[in-house]
Amino acid sequence: MDIDIRELIDDEDDENQEEMTAQKVLENVERAWLNEKFSPEILPHQTDYVECLLEQIKGMEGNLAKLSKTDPKVDLHKLELERIKFVITSYLRTRLKKIESFCVSVLEEEATRSEEDKYLSPAELQFAKEFALNADNHFDTILRHMPQLYNKLDRNKKIIEPNLNSFVFLKCNKHIDSVIIKNTLEGQEEEIVLEDSSQHLMPYSSVAEFVKNGTVQLI
Amino acid sequence: MMHPAEIEFLAENEIIQIVPTFNHASHVHLICGSYGPFRAGLPLNVPIWVALNLRQKKTCRILAPDWMTVDKLQERLEEEKASKFFTQLPTNYYLEITQMLLTVAGEDIPQGNDIKTAVKDLWDLRIAKLRSSVDLFVKEGRVQASLNHLTPMEINSVRPVFPDTLDALMTLHEHINSSDDREDSSQSSGATPSSTSFSLSL
Repeated sequence: MDIDIRELIDDEDDENQEEMTAQKVLENVERAWLNEKFSPEILPHQTDYVECLLEQIKGMEGNLAKLSKTDPKVDLHKLELERIKFVITSYLRTRLKKIESFCVSVLEEEATRSEEDKYLSPAELQFAKEFALNADNHFDTILRHMPQLYNKLDRNKKIIEPNLNSFVFLKCNKHIDSVIIKNTLEGQEEEIVLEDSSQHLMPYSSVAEFVKNGTVQLI
Repeated sequence: MMHPAEIEFLAENEIIQIVPTFNHASHVHLICGSYGPFRAGLPLNVPIWVALNLRQKKTCRILAPDWMTVDKLQERLEEEKASKFFTQLPTNYYLEITQMLLTVAGEDIPQGNDIKTAVKDLWDLRIAKLRSSVDLFVKEGRVQASLNHLTPMEINSVRPVFPDTLDALMTLHEHINSSDDREDSSQSSGATPSSTSFSLSL
């Protein structure tokens, strides 16, 4: 029996009501992985793409089980699945790490966002809330044993925020007319043009919106 | 932070040519694309990770990419020497691809050792260029740089120390500026440290 990935893809298209091949979905997840790795803050979640890939993997694994072990393509398919799983887990782990590091600020910002443009997936949001709660409980337990003078913790001092001005390497996917860069050294602003497929180094805050809408890829 | 092995992982998605030693009439429909048909003796395009896997099982021969010859690499090297900026290379992953192909399929690639040396020369030259521009960049106190044609592995060689240095410089300057403001309003004195007082040597 022959595995037909195109069948799987057609199913996906019907569900998502958009023309997107499994290959495109994979490319999207790979791009999201790199962006997430290099951006200082947590980026809007790509759960739709990740879920879609996971379904593909599941379907593929089901089909592979039916194939004979001597078929030369079985190994290739298995290898590819492992590669995709690696990207997905690395992507999700990077996000969890950011949630753990910046838990309080991530939750505060998430609360100000509308239902449509949440940055965390429902599962991540639940994780963040539980993590914050557990951290609070932990601090409370410890502080109870401290001398009275020191047994209060200023909530504001607990907040760790990502440095949005940190420098990132990036590549433009499209021509961008104007990017404003704040020059802290001279206390003024610079405006530059980013040409298509040019590569740059600059503070993340200048290009954050372009990273989120996909016109800029972090490298 | 990116591990060099992860960049190699990305390099493995690049396409190269192989000559299979087996027959498999239908295409292999991978998620990243369809490849085939595999006919013994006929070259076809596949991602590097497929090529390496088949080569390790001794079911194909790998054809060196066009740029992977001593002559072509020498040309690149001369071009790189003559240019003030980074030149555009035929692939973003020249170092990794050379390394991977020579390790797994050394016998398939003629003049492997000379190619290795030429690629290393190219890398050294570009990294020297990169380091001197990093030095200049920090000394001039700039906040934006164009890095066209720099490859991911090259970028990774100055990460995280380069961006982190810049972050630290910016934070220092913010503190200096804010304390300057305070001093200005109270007694308007104090030497303003200039950006030239910092330098970075890698």
